[in-house]
Amino acid sequence: MKVKVKNWHAIAQWRWDTGTSSDTHDADDEGDVCGICRVPYEGCCPSCKMPGDDCPLIWGECTHIFHMHCLLKWIGTAASKQQCPMDRRPWVTAERKINN
Amino acid sequence: MASEQLWSQVAEKWQTSFNRLNRNEPGITGLLTFSEAWVLARDFLRPRDIDEPSPKSTVNRQQLRAAFDNLAQRRMLTALLEEFLEDMRWQLPHITKDIEGLMKQYEATSDPIFIAGCISRLVLWHKAWAPFPELGPTVVNAFTNTFQTHVFSVLPRSFSHGFKSLVSATLNPEYATEPPVWITTLFPQSGPPPDRWDKPLWQAFEQLGMTERYESLIASVCYEHVEAHMIETYSKVWDRECLSEARDWMSQHILPWLLMPYAPNAKTVEEAAPFISGIGTRLDYHVCKTLADLRTREIFDIIVDFPDSRPALDDLKKCILRVDHRSTLVKTLRKENAHRLLHPGADTKMILQQYVSIIKCLRIIDPQGVLLFKVADPIRRYLRERPDTIRCVVASLVADHESGDSLVDENDTVQPLQQAQVDDYSDLNWEPEPQDAGPDFRTNKPSDIISTLVSIYDSQDLFIKELQVLLAQRLLAIKDGNFDRERRNIEVLKIRFGEAQLQVCEVMLRDMTDSRRTDQHIQSQKNNDTTQLHPTIISRHFWPSLQTNTFTMPGQFKTIQDAYQKEFKTFKPDKKLVWMSHLGTISLDIELDDRTVSADVPPLEAAIIELFSQKDIWTIDELIETIGSIERPAAVKALGTWIELGVIKEEDANTFRLLQVADAAASSKTTQRPQAMAVEDEVPIVTAQQQQAEQMKVFWKFIEGMLRNLGSLPVDRIQQMLKFAPGYDRSVEQLGQFMEAAKREGLVSVKDGMWKLS
Repeated sequence: MKVKVKNWHAIAQWRWDTGTSSDTHDADDEGDVCGICRVPYEGCCPSCKMPGDDCPLIWGECTHIFHMHCLLKWIGTAASKQQCPMDRRPWVTAERKINN
Repeated sequence: MASEQLWSQVAEKWQTSFNRLNRNEPGITGLLTFSEAWVLARDFLRPRDIDEPSPKSTVNRQQLRAAFDNLAQRRMLTALLEEFLEDMRWQLPHITKDIEGLMKQYEATSDPIFIAGCISRLVLWHKAWAPFPELGPTVVNAFTNTFQTHVFSVLPRSFSHGFKSLVSATLNPEYATEPPVWITTLFPQSGPPPDRWDKPLWQAFEQLGMTERYESLIASVCYEHVEAHMIETYSKVWDRECLSEARDWMSQHILPWLLMPYAPNAKTVEEAAPFISGIGTRLDYHVCKTLADLRTREIFDIIVDFPDSRPALDDLKKCILRVDHRSTLVKTLRKENAHRLLHPGADTKMILQQYVSIIKCLRIIDPQGVLLFKVADPIRRYLRERPDTIRCVVASLVADHESGDSLVDENDTVQPLQQAQVDDYSDLNWEPEPQDAGPDFRTNKPSDIISTLVSIYDSQDLFIKELQVLLAQRLLAIKDGNFDRERRNIEVLKIRFGEAQLQVCEVMLRDMTDSRRTDQHIQSQKNNDTTQLHPTIISRHFWPSLQTNTFTMPGQFKTIQDAYQKEFKTFKPDKKLVWMSHLGTISLDIELDDRTVSADVPPLEAAIIELFSQKDIWTIDELIETIGSIERPAAVKALGTWIELGVIKEEDANTFRLLQVADAAASSKTTQRPQAMAVEDEVPIVTAQQQQAEQMKVFWKFIEGMLRNLGSLPVDRIQQMLKFAPGYDRSVEQLGQFMEAAKREGLVSVKDGMWKLS
């Protein structure tokens, strides 16, 4: 017997590939949240309405990840001293390695 | 001394009387003529049994006149009258006997003809005994009085009943064309026939003073006739305005009849007008009342029939203005609703539909909305308790107008939901609330139906949540990628609920367009081997929770998924896909040795048949183990689909074998239905209600911990502590219900309001 797929309408969720909890298939998992706005990565930052490409993430060398808008806003304030809000190390945006 | 005085006094009186009677005639000749005249007159007047020959014809009128003149000169007419009335009293038993005989016959047969007979006899008696009209009104009146007093005193109780049926016979339309025979025999008329056949009868009534005495009876006959006619003619007639019709009928049929008892002497209608205006007004009121009663009784069905029954509602509105009937209407409709609508047997959608019709109908009757407010209250309370009300409202919000699911007219202009309004003090057209408005009545400015429905619940959030679920179901079920309708719906709903509320839905719609764009991009790539797969990629957190018994697709499906995943990664390097394998549909061709079976199936079915391509015989437990994290009933159902299609066969219990060559019995089935039925399950999206239950499970953990640590607690205390838990938004009542449920499951027990673990 041979099963031939003619057409497949599937449903999938997209996730940010943060490189961490990559193998979890648990959709119930609320997922990691942005350290600044406490909204999940796949949600959107308070100033955005659309998630995804309109409200991307930003990776730091320090491995911390935030909504880009949240971090830029933070960095824009004088109090930030250009530091990562999590570990107070100077913020350096990491180059995303596109390999996997 | 005294006696002498007395003597002279008596003598004086005697002399005066004598002089009066004798009229200064010589000797006693005057007295003699008087005596003669007295005898003649008295004999003439004396009432006799009418069955005996009357002597009146033999009397010389000239002589009689002289006699009466004589008596009048001597001022003896009063005495004569008294004598006459005395004589009449002696003769009255004749009448009594007559009446009793006829009434007995009537009582035995209940035929009004005997009443007519009775009346005709009475007329004869009356005519025979009546003194000359020339004797002056005093005499005639005294006679009539005595006669009527007697007659009415001897008429038995059953007479009034018979009289009523006799009067109603005059309204019988059959007699109008062909008068009853008895009318001519009992009431012979000289001269040309009267313009109405029953005129002689009315004249007889008038003569005997019955019209006056039985006026209320006559009126009630008229009322009953009108009522019977209207109920017969207008019951369930809702498609035309009946009130004006009924009024026309009144003026054509009832008014001429009214002339008989109420204006017997009027020659023209104008002349009669002052007599019948009173009863006319009362009758008009009665018509309105009858129609209002009738329509009130039918109100529920009228509302069901709306908008075809619009004329009936207009009628009712006019009638209610005339007769104060509002409270009855409210009471009836509330009762009918409770009886016919608000019970478990009624579909929520039906209740909503009826509610919408009630809104529309009562707005016609009472634009200010007091009636509606009173009637709607129980419906709203009931709907609030129905679990699927929200879903029904939401479904109708987004329903096809073509499919007739919609509760709203397409013509209704879409407008934002209206909140309860405060009085506008500068409104020049302000009107006070109607006097039957309750204290909690709010003047609802005519708001649209949807606002009213949504306001059943205090918060709109529930609707938004349900809307989200419904939208998700619809979007995920779309196969052809055409969701313009959903988009249009959302646009409409945005106007109603406001843009901010529907932000989530907006994201869902954008996910749909994005998915299509992504898919187009990926399909256009070279060396693409995922042409069959067209996924919808959704943003989690923005879609309602989807059931999550996700399993891994086996075999070629996994390969296709992985290939797609890889393409996706190239397209969007920082994203990845998490497949929700249990959702979606797959079109398959199963190529077997002797046949090809085509089917549209859910992914689980596809996974199972894929496994059968690895080996022919599987047990259900093996299948579950291989696919992983699926529930047994789901697997059984999936296998059932393939058995149905004749692809596999259950050999032993829970052991299934692939049918490479069609089973004889099964193949006949397949040839009958070569094209598999499209399996269209509802997309398994967790409803808002299930979500709540799911959340409650989390809180149960808190409650359990609380009770374990603190022993027994009252509900209020539990509620207080739970308020510290994140996201807890239940009321004490909801918590109480939950605790009751837990008790039923034997998890907790309660004593004196204190809950503890059992």
